[in-house]
Amino acid sequence: MKKKLLAALLTVTMVAGMTACGGGNAENPAGGSADSGSSTAGGTAEGNSSASSDEIVTITYLTTNDKPDGEKEQRYLEMMEQLNAILEEKANAHLDIYFLSWTDYLSNYNLLLASMDGTVDLVGTATDWLDAWPNAKNGAFLELSEDMLKTYAPKTWESVPAEDWEMCKYNGEIYLMPEDNYAQWTNHGFIYRLDWAKDAGLADGVHSWEDLTTYFQYCSDHKDELGLQYVWDSDATQYGQMGGGWITSHSDYISIDGINSGAMWGGTKDDPYTLYCPYMTDTASLVEYANMMKQWNDMGVWSSDVLNRGTNTNRDDFRVGLVAAEQHHTQTWTDLVSHTEANKIYDTDPDAEVGFFYFGEESKNVVALNITHGAMAVSAGSKNPEKALMVYDLIRNDPDCYKLFNYGIQGVSWDVNEEGLRITPEGYNSDTDNINGVTNYWWGRNDDLEIKDARLNWDAIDKLYAEYDAIKIPYQYGKFVPNVDELRSTIDQINEIYENYMKQISYGQFSGSAEDIVAEFQAALSAAGVDKVTEELQRQLDEVYK
Amino acid sequence: MARKKQKANTATVQVRKLTLREKIWRHRVLILMCMPAIVFFLAFSYAPLPGIWVAFVRYNYRDGIFGSKFIGLDNFEFLATSGKLFQLTRNTILYNLAFILLGNALAVFVAILLNEMRSRWFKKVSQTIMFLPYFISQVLVGVLVFNLLNYDTGFVNGILGKLGLELWKPYSDPNVWTVLLVLIYLWQQTGYNSVVYFAAIMGIDSETIEAARVDGANGFQKIRYIILPSLKPTIVILLLFALGGIVKGNFGLFYNVVGSNPLLYGTTDIIETYVYRCTVTDFNFSTASAVGLYQSIFGFVVVMVVNTIVKKIDPDYSLF
Repeated sequence: MKKKLLAALLTVTMVAGMTACGGGNAENPAGGSADSGSSTAGGTAEGNSSASSDEIVTITYLTTNDKPDGEKEQRYLEMMEQLNAILEEKANAHLDIYFLSWTDYLSNYNLLLASMDGTVDLVGTATDWLDAWPNAKNGAFLELSEDMLKTYAPKTWESVPAEDWEMCKYNGEIYLMPEDNYAQWTNHGFIYRLDWAKDAGLADGVHSWEDLTTYFQYCSDHKDELGLQYVWDSDATQYGQMGGGWITSHSDYISIDGINSGAMWGGTKDDPYTLYCPYMTDTASLVEYANMMKQWNDMGVWSSDVLNRGTNTNRDDFRVGLVAAEQHHTQTWTDLVSHTEANKIYDTDPDAEVGFFYFGEESKNVVALNITHGAMAVSAGSKNPEKALMVYDLIRNDPDCYKLFNYGIQGVSWDVNEEGLRITPEGYNSDTDNINGVTNYWWGRNDDLEIKDARLNWDAIDKLYAEYDAIKIPYQYGKFVPNVDELRSTIDQINEIYENYMKQISYGQFSGSAEDIVAEFQAALSAAGVDKVTEELQRQLDEVYK
Repeated sequence: MARKKQKANTATVQVRKLTLREKIWRHRVLILMCMPAIVFFLAFSYAPLPGIWVAFVRYNYRDGIFGSKFIGLDNFEFLATSGKLFQLTRNTILYNLAFILLGNALAVFVAILLNEMRSRWFKKVSQTIMFLPYFISQVLVGVLVFNLLNYDTGFVNGILGKLGLELWKPYSDPNVWTVLLVLIYLWQQTGYNSVVYFAAIMGIDSETIEAARVDGANGFQKIRYIILPSLKPTIVILLLFALGGIVKGNFGLFYNVVGSNPLLYGTTDIIETYVYRCTVTDFNFSTASAVGLYQSIFGFVVVMVVNTIVKKIDPDYSLF
């Protein structure tokens, strides 16, 4: 009997042990180091002494990018040597970069921050596309007291207006230093070939979803003549942008960032603080969308097995004219519209022109970028938070540091022409000398120090920016940091449903009618508790704005 | 054992129970040999056990597993309220049943075939060829399958097109995947699984087989009456082990081959893939652990039940 009992016990532990093992990969590193994290995070004053000590401290900055290698690494190290010389002189610190590769970047980002073992000090983050708020809540970021900021990052403290600091607070504490002085537009749309659109009969370019249909029809019909591999080699990840884009184009809906990937909750331009979920209310519009996407699918805009397509090279294909469209944001368009070395279409085809149809164009519905689309945080695991702030203050505000860090060494990676624009020097190789594409400093760019890139097509860009400026409204929910912990699993489920159905709808890959799939989608959302989330968000929003 | 006891009774006058230390000393060589396994299980199975607690808290990095707020069974609600628990568990179990039953049957079959091969050269070559797929990463398997089956440029459709036949669209048809996934699994695993059975066949006393041959048994009779019955304990034990993991899906296979194509989820979504999709973006440790615990408990129950049944039928074959 005893033996039996023992055997049974052993089995329990074996089976249970297997789970612990299975989950171990993920939970152990986090769990194991949680203790060490709490000790450093608790007292913000700890490490004060290091700021004044004589020892040179190395500050590690976390950015999302693949680690450079070969000659590219060489250039990068040369730049860092010069930068570190300045940092050493001004802050008695060195800077090192922790490159977080793009593969599964969000999971790895959260995992790295969760470990809080002092691997990184400065953390590039964002409230919309990198989980800034969840990490702040989970304790991965250090609270930045006003005193700390005033003392160690004085220029940053002064340059950011009080109302912008307000948007960096959670529970009354500042966690982020926002990139609030940098004009950029990351509203999404379709990048297309304007010259082909003209051939398709759209003399003025694409200005509506219907125009897009005309354009895609033309490209699909003339695929071989135009030398296209695909009209658009989508990898099925744009379902959310497209679906959201459709709604923006056909209503006054504006969304709250950072609740879920689908940006499914928000208000309207006129009444931003009455929340709703357009996927539940705008049924007729969604049906129309589903029908149009089915039409695109039948037209052969993307590959038949788009949902299994996996990674692709659509943007690079666009640069050489193998595809006719790219779905991304304005910032990407500013690159593709310009005759840079990489954009071969302008060399091979003198008529080539690239246009941009932005979502919301029809309804004049454009929201300016949230200032925390890029921000810098200090890791709670950092052993030298003060030094980290000093280094950040320098790379953000010191012209020499800024240029080195963003553009590289003058004369090697960049230079200035007579008009004061930034050019590439003789012998420049974009594959190895582009420091901007290595450091990926998107968390504190500064228009006061920026030098306009001469290669960019500023005529087209300024024209579009002026158009945006005429219709834009500021982001309406900057002070709102929703606390959705209690609803986490509901939102997880809603995300999953959203992805499943929007993928089918946005790529027209559904059997049955558009009405059916939309109804099914809404029923699933309803069952998962979408209304519960809307109500809770409304309650929390009212606390902030009413 | 019985003999030893008898010996002990007769040979020793002084009846005294051995202390633990004496026991350890007496079996020191055996224990030493078990050490690596003991250390392995202590380090990777027993030591992390307290971590199961994470399934019952709202985990937050700063407070750690034991400092985070206790929320009872809230994490388990996730699966229950998704409305998918039944479908997911069903898919997972049915696929695993197919994998376990067909996999083992085919492995036994292949092992017997290998055993019957007379040409040494042919035996080695075919064993190697069957073994190789086991070493191909699931990611590559996914790529291979996609390149064979995709609609526009796939190998299969290339041939169908050339023959003037209607093109095949497996990536829009959930029903074909129940068969395809099992086939892919068998292709990958059979070579490896058959090795165990092949070894068991090798271990059968050759005298028995020779005796049967002398008695005039033909090849099929030899298999039916000698080899298969001798393999029975091996088969039962391997099945019992496999059943413990019946609610644990083969994430690598499903995720890489099916990908994130919602058209196919109806028949291909298993617990792992669903949980992955739901929790990967917000790094929800607690929910994921809760699901892992659910699977373990389910697996434990299955092992206990099946073991009891096996014991009822034939106590010699049961695990404990």
